[in-house]
Amino acid sequence: MNTAKLLRKLRYEKKLNSGQAELLLNLQERRIFSVLRELRFFLYIGILLIITGAGLTVKQYFINLGDAAIISALTLCFAAAFVYCFAQGRSYERGEVASPNIAFDYILFFGCAFYSMDVAYIETQYHLLGELWENYLLISVALFFFLAYRFDNRLVLSLALSTLAAWFGFTLSAHRFYFENYYRLYAIAYALIVFCCGVLLYRIDIKKHFLDIYLNFAAHFLCIALLSGVTEYKILSLYFPALLLACAALAFYSVQVRKFLYVLYAVIYGYIGISIVIVDQIHRQTFFLFIYFIVTSMLVIGLIFKLSRRFKENQ
Amino acid sequence: MYPPQQEENIYIRQQTQAWRRSGLITEEQLSAINEHTDIQLRRTNLFFRLLFFVFTMLGAGAVVGLFFWLLDFKDADIIAVMLICFGAAFYIAAEYLAGKYLFYRHGVEEALVVMAMVLFCAGCGILLSENHLTLTQLRIVVPALLAITACWIYLRFGFLYAAGISIVALSFIPFQFNLSPAAERIMLFSVLCVIFVFSLLADKPDLEDFRKNRYAKIQACLTTAIYLTVNLQIMGLFGLISMDRHAVHLNPQLFPPSIYWLSYVLTFLVPIAAIYWGIKSRKRIIITVGIVMACVTLATNKSYLGWTRYAWDPAILGIILVGLSLIITRWLNSGVDQRRFGFTARNILKPEEGGITPADVAAALTPGVIETQQPPAGAQEQYFKGGSSGGGGVEGKF
Repeated sequence: MNTAKLLRKLRYEKKLNSGQAELLLNLQERRIFSVLRELRFFLYIGILLIITGAGLTVKQYFINLGDAAIISALTLCFAAAFVYCFAQGRSYERGEVASPNIAFDYILFFGCAFYSMDVAYIETQYHLLGELWENYLLISVALFFFLAYRFDNRLVLSLALSTLAAWFGFTLSAHRFYFENYYRLYAIAYALIVFCCGVLLYRIDIKKHFLDIYLNFAAHFLCIALLSGVTEYKILSLYFPALLLACAALAFYSVQVRKFLYVLYAVIYGYIGISIVIVDQIHRQTFFLFIYFIVTSMLVIGLIFKLSRRFKENQ
Repeated sequence: MYPPQQEENIYIRQQTQAWRRSGLITEEQLSAINEHTDIQLRRTNLFFRLLFFVFTMLGAGAVVGLFFWLLDFKDADIIAVMLICFGAAFYIAAEYLAGKYLFYRHGVEEALVVMAMVLFCAGCGILLSENHLTLTQLRIVVPALLAITACWIYLRFGFLYAAGISIVALSFIPFQFNLSPAAERIMLFSVLCVIFVFSLLADKPDLEDFRKNRYAKIQACLTTAIYLTVNLQIMGLFGLISMDRHAVHLNPQLFPPSIYWLSYVLTFLVPIAAIYWGIKSRKRIIITVGIVMACVTLATNKSYLGWTRYAWDPAILGIILVGLSLIITRWLNSGVDQRRFGFTARNILKPEEGGITPADVAAALTPGVIETQQPPAGAQEQYFKGGSSGGGGVEGKF
């Protein structure tokens, strides 16, 4: 029996009304075919390409174009985007708010990206904030948070959180993309702040659906920072118990809310951390190394198997 | 190896869960559907599946490593035979788990079968190399063997990535015959087209839905492979990076003009055909692949024609994509019941929430990209010093 036959059978048994059955049959047999996902995908890719193209143009032709042209063009673009969003956006609500149209979320994101580009260009060329130049990132963070919550936009929230990470010193530039002690503590601080913000806003019932984004940022920053500490100091530091605690908390939360992505994080980060310590303890003896990986992989498989059976995920 | 009705029931349940998520059916109706679609196969969620896969691979790899380390074989023939034996053992274990315990996309049996495939092909490769096969012959036989074993795994277990591995392995073979670059491309193109035709012939209208869905994905992979074969400028991009102007694969201008311009025409025809076919047969994945290929065609068009590339080219492509998306949305929304020819831009089926999406990740990376695109501080003053920008070298002192 396939889906269409099953739907007809359910309609015959009066478990589905005729309108419902007809809609589902139309969907199943693709007489109604929604292309919203595809349109959104290409819209987003298009916006990302525009941002990339604009950035490259500024980088390559800033001498020919001149500061005035670049700054005014970028300002005009982001101002237009923000004006559009405030004019067209729906009123603020604490819960989830649907976008007024397909392009709305991406226009807001476009505006935020152009705003960043504009501010970054002004700061790079004129050094308005001098030694305190990194603080312009904080202004951007505040603006992005406001816009993300005002218009219920996940993309802008991600932008805000990664801009906050940049303020903490985490950028894509090669010379900063490693965890020395200084950055490790900053990463932990960042993760805790993001986590606390996410939980607090969730608790006071503001955009509860954003919690996952906060948790993902916090989990990765915290676990990577702790892992780097474990790699450096092995068992002789607080990083190892802290990592175990963080992974246990992730697993516990995951089981509580049945979002198993966090189990994946907990197991992977926890296993890597424990392996670093154990491999160091057995002084890299080949035989014990193999035995360790055989035994622990079987243990993890057993553990996950128990967990999956507990939650009847095989249904 | 799994009963088709069971696989069909799984497919039905996936759809009904999407309907429930989207509020199209009630909880009671979902229960009624579940009563009609009994599933005995043992499944798990994506995240547990990944964990099972990774840790089974790790454990199985460690077992093989420990065995070879303990016995310290020196003879290559014995090593090869032992690898094949391990491959066979893992395959039997996977069959046992899938047959006896009904593991279905569970991660454990998948890891075992992938390990079996790798070990078997490695063992055969060593065995053949020890038995007077030349390196060239080996480069043909091992990918062929990998293609056959992966194809077998796909047919037996239905793992789509096995079909993908099979296609990739097969694609390596034409490049090992010391043919001219053009002949290699033509041979690969012909082989992929033959497989594609077979997949079309197998995709009959009376098939179960899950099989149709599976064939659509394979056809999308094949279409992509065909496109990558015909687009000579894709490899040309690597040539630009490596600055190797003499290797014909990396410098498409060295292909015979007839092949070069035929490939140019095909880079347009393949996406157009894919989009048309996808729309006609309502295969979502084919439409998506077709549009992505069309974007790549636009991106490589200037390289084909030898035109100058500008920094704003990505922005123009972006504007085209945004414009087309908006025009299509408006056009669909202005139809009767916001529909035209059955296509709609309405949100009917709600996607599954996975915590964080690739779109969120891309948004998070944007500040980093913006930062790397900033012109260096003070570059403008430097530029106007010393007369490099004109002015006959006149400086402030003058």
